[in-house]
Amino acid sequence: MALLRFNHVSKLYSGAPALDDVSLDVERGQFVVLVGRSGCGKSTLLNVAGAMDFPTSGEVVLDGVVTSSLSETALTLLRRGTVGFVFQSFQLLPSLSVLENVELPLLLARRPRASETALDRLRQVEMEDYGARMPYQLSGGQMQRVAIARALVHSPALLLADEPTGNLDSTTGDVILKLLQNIARKQQTTILMATHSVEAAEIADVVVRLRDGRVQEVLEPASGP
Amino acid sequence: MAYQKIFYRLILRPLWRERLRSALMVATVALGVAVVLAIELAGEAAAGSFRSSVETLAGSGDFEVTATGGVPAEVLARLVLLPHAFKLRPRIEDYAVIAASNRVVPFLGVDMLADAGANPGNSGADEFQRGGSIWVGKDAGWKPGSRVRLTVNDGSADYTVRGVIEGAGEAIITDLAPAARLLGRGSNLDRILIDVPPSRPADQWESILRAALPDGMTLAPRGARTEENRRMLAAFRWNLRVLSYIALLVGAFLIYNTISVSVVRRREEIGVLRALGATRLSVLGAFLSEAACLGLAGGIAGVALGRVMATACLRLVAATVDSLYVSSTPAPIALTWAVAVAGIAIGVLVSVVSALPPALEASRVVPVEAMARGRRDHDVHMHRWRDLALGAALAVAAGLASRQPPVAGKPLFGYLAVLLLIGGAVLATPALVSVLSRATATAAGRIFGVEAMLASRSLAGSLRRTAVLVGALSTAIAMLSAVGIMVGSFRQTVLLWMEDRLRADLYLRPAGPAGADRHPTLAPGTAARLQRIPEVAAVDQFRAYEISYNGLPATLGGSDARIAGRYGQRPFLSGARPADVFAQLPGRDHVIVSEPFANKHGVKRGDTLELPLGGRRIHFRVIEIYGDYSNERGYIIMDRGTLLKYLPDPSPSNVAVYLRPGANLEQGRRAVENALAGRKVMVFTNRSLRKEAIRIFDRTFAITYALEAVAVFVAIMGVAGALLALVIDRRREFGLLRFLGASTGQIRRIILFEAGLLGLLAEIAGVALGYLLSLLLIYVINRQSFGWTIEFHWPVTVLLSALSIVYAATVLAALYPSQVATQLVPIEVIHED
Ligand SMILES: Nc1ncnc2c1ncn2[C@@H]1O[C@H](COP(=O)(O)OP(=O)(O)OP(=O)(O)O)[C@@H](O)[C@H]1O
Ligand SMILES: [Mg+2]
Repeated sequence: MALLRFNHVSKLYSGAPALDDVSLDVERGQFVVLVGRSGCGKSTLLNVAGAMDFPTSGEVVLDGVVTSSLSETALTLLRRGTVGFVFQSFQLLPSLSVLENVELPLLLARRPRASETALDRLRQVEMEDYGARMPYQLSGGQMQRVAIARALVHSPALLLADEPTGNLDSTTGDVILKLLQNIARKQQTTILMATHSVEAAEIADVVVRLRDGRVQEVLEPASGP
Repeated sequence: MAYQKIFYRLILRPLWRERLRSALMVATVALGVAVVLAIELAGEAAAGSFRSSVETLAGSGDFEVTATGGVPAEVLARLVLLPHAFKLRPRIEDYAVIAASNRVVPFLGVDMLADAGANPGNSGADEFQRGGSIWVGKDAGWKPGSRVRLTVNDGSADYTVRGVIEGAGEAIITDLAPAARLLGRGSNLDRILIDVPPSRPADQWESILRAALPDGMTLAPRGARTEENRRMLAAFRWNLRVLSYIALLVGAFLIYNTISVSVVRRREEIGVLRALGATRLSVLGAFLSEAACLGLAGGIAGVALGRVMATACLRLVAATVDSLYVSSTPAPIALTWAVAVAGIAIGVLVSVVSALPPALEASRVVPVEAMARGRRDHDVHMHRWRDLALGAALAVAAGLASRQPPVAGKPLFGYLAVLLLIGGAVLATPALVSVLSRATATAAGRIFGVEAMLASRSLAGSLRRTAVLVGALSTAIAMLSAVGIMVGSFRQTVLLWMEDRLRADLYLRPAGPAGADRHPTLAPGTAARLQRIPEVAAVDQFRAYEISYNGLPATLGGSDARIAGRYGQRPFLSGARPADVFAQLPGRDHVIVSEPFANKHGVKRGDTLELPLGGRRIHFRVIEIYGDYSNERGYIIMDRGTLLKYLPDPSPSNVAVYLRPGANLEQGRRAVENALAGRKVMVFTNRSLRKEAIRIFDRTFAITYALEAVAVFVAIMGVAGALLALVIDRRREFGLLRFLGASTGQIRRIILFEAGLLGLLAEIAGVALGYLLSLLLIYVINRQSFGWTIEFHWPVTVLLSALSIVYAATVLAALYPSQVATQLVPIEVIHED
């Protein structure tokens, strides 16, 4: 079955719908891109998908469980095991070094061999030489690579990325997109990414277009000839 | 841009948005002001009180004549015969205990007709002469005809109230003759008050009077004694005052911290406002106004709170004054407008001054910073190594200041050294914090997990904020441990001293009111009666008199040097053995003086003291100085024989009884009590006397502990407020951690760990600084203020328990902020900023 299923999901913010009856399946290993105008509900959809927020009606099934049925503890465990987040503004902890930032999810989850795994992920994003640096000593593109390494360090089934290239110039943005695509291919990680970039839509397996909180269309460009 | 708008945007809105934190700040200032005010009011009431005790009925006397051992009645006769229109008022002054309430009240013998203006009853002036009649001040609350049981010296009897006298406070008054009989004054008076006619200037009258008085009489302008007492109390009040400023100092740190934090948080906003045309001055003004507002609110609340606290303080202060200095019945607390306004002004001033550095920093924010997003580096302006060097320089300066002599009897340089040392420690704090928290981060992470690692990293990451917090808390802890070490050392010193000094088995004193300046006496035959008891080996009689030496009160005493020499154990300060020293006292004009006396008056071994005794001026040689902690007025001790030669009153003030070796203490005690049946005498065993002494000691220092506790409380409140601010500032980070898989428990633990680390750093720094401060307190400030040498002892148990309590409180203070942190909604806070 699908890794992530939206079942008639609506999300109301003080009466106004940010998501309106969204039904959507994301299969394992897919690279899904969310597009749409600003304010159409992309971030809301990602938050609900990652169990950081919950639908007002309908249900979200992540890895076989209904997110809104879980206790606080179970949600924490779900996040530790299944989901990784990448943000537009990188969100590295300024007081931790690059390596420590990447280790952090493993440490919070009390997993063994944190630094080896973290170094391994840094190698994947070609940042292994920067482990001892502090975040303010990095460029934006480098920060986003570190953030991606951090989001992947615990090998989540689902990577949620909210405009990961939004704060980067287009060349750097392309590099980051390629990186995400490679990872999705090699590791069978499912990626759900909100973006405004046209290039992103081209490399995706599935493009979901939102409009005013509704799914306007679902395209599968890569499956074409 | 209009200043009001800036003030509203930058200051009022945030203050309101974070009401709890603002309230904490106001409370901080309020407590600081309250403590200072309470000590001032209580000190004034306690110091003012002796004026209102014996000096009731003082009228408008211009001069007063006194003499050690009493003013002979002939002196009054001589003054009466002078061809001037003097108004003379002879007085006998003592104290009595009201048996029913155990209250000590002044007991005065006066010329009832002339002085008190009392109406003789139907039987005419003879009524005054009848024994058993007393008149009472209005405040005592008795009606004519009431029967009152009073203890005076070692006797107790019933009296009938014959009348009530206005303006006499609580005093009990009789005519001169019955008072002299009752108190065994013979024909001596205690004091003659003299009103002079205005026809000549006061100094002329003074020389006329002086010429008329025999040698050995002390002539002083009225109020001189009050002045003496105030001077004697000055050091004590100074030290209390200084202690009371600690809470204010700690409060100042926290205001500095709060305003610094608001400046750091609002840098961008300030930048925007500057870009929109706000001037430097208006930004400076806005932040100073914030401080002034907090200070004003805190000052007003502090005055109200201080008035309440003063009542509690007064009880403690008055008890200390009474047992260490001078008889007192506390005057009412007088909160005048001037004092209230001063209190509020202190609140505003302290706030504005502590806010000045961060406000200046705010005014230097340039408009470009509006664009400098993302650089949340608070520590650009930290120069921690330069500060460390500066701190070391201050410590050296403190060392130099500690070697200076007192200024006008006050250890001003000692206080300066304390301030310099605190300043040095505060400057060294950033370096200490950054080194320690970085060093511990890895270890903490390994031992306590990732939460501890994140906590220590974030402390190191916002070094400035952390340093100020650690500075405030460690200053409070330092003062707490310094005073704790000082008092603990003092207590241990006194315990050891008592062990050496109190060698007798039983100690006797009259049940009548005793005090530092009150020496009620036992009947003259007491010692002879005791000597006849088979269990008794020796009886030492001690007689004490109040004297004034160099314008300061002191106690003159006579003791049986042969017995003291036989039983004495404690070597003199020079190392001389008691037996050798006491052998030099009998039959010669030799005295020994106590250490506080020697220090206060700059007296050394071999010096000569001139004392007016029994109508003559006699020169005594100081042969030794002895350690003494019983009171800081100071003692001059001679052999009993010498004392009797000049002041032939045989009644002893205290008696020490040595039992034969092997005699049963309980039996001996019963025999002594039987021998004195019918007299009001208190018999203490050696043990009970020591226990009583330590009880008084502890009571004396209760106020000190109370002041320390307030300072620590202020600091911990500051920690709570600062942690709350920290949570609010770092909410994005906490939100992010939730995204990365942190549980709410982990978030809570991070904040508790931060508090724990802050507490640990503050305790390390605080105890180190406290140790140094305690050396200053013991070897400089106490010595220069009170004149006694305290041996250093670590009060391990007290210190450890106090530190653990402070530590626990610090961590508990983090509970609410940590609760706030767990309730943040991650998706709301993650994109803020
Ligand atoms: N916490 C909230 N409270 C109220 N309304 C909200 C909240 N969060 C989002 N919204 C509203 O929900 C709608 C969808 O917001 P969302 O952030 O998902 O848009 P978006 O597609 O991510 O836009 P963008 O491309 O600009 O990031 C918007 O109209 C927004 O105003
Ligand atoms: Mg968005």
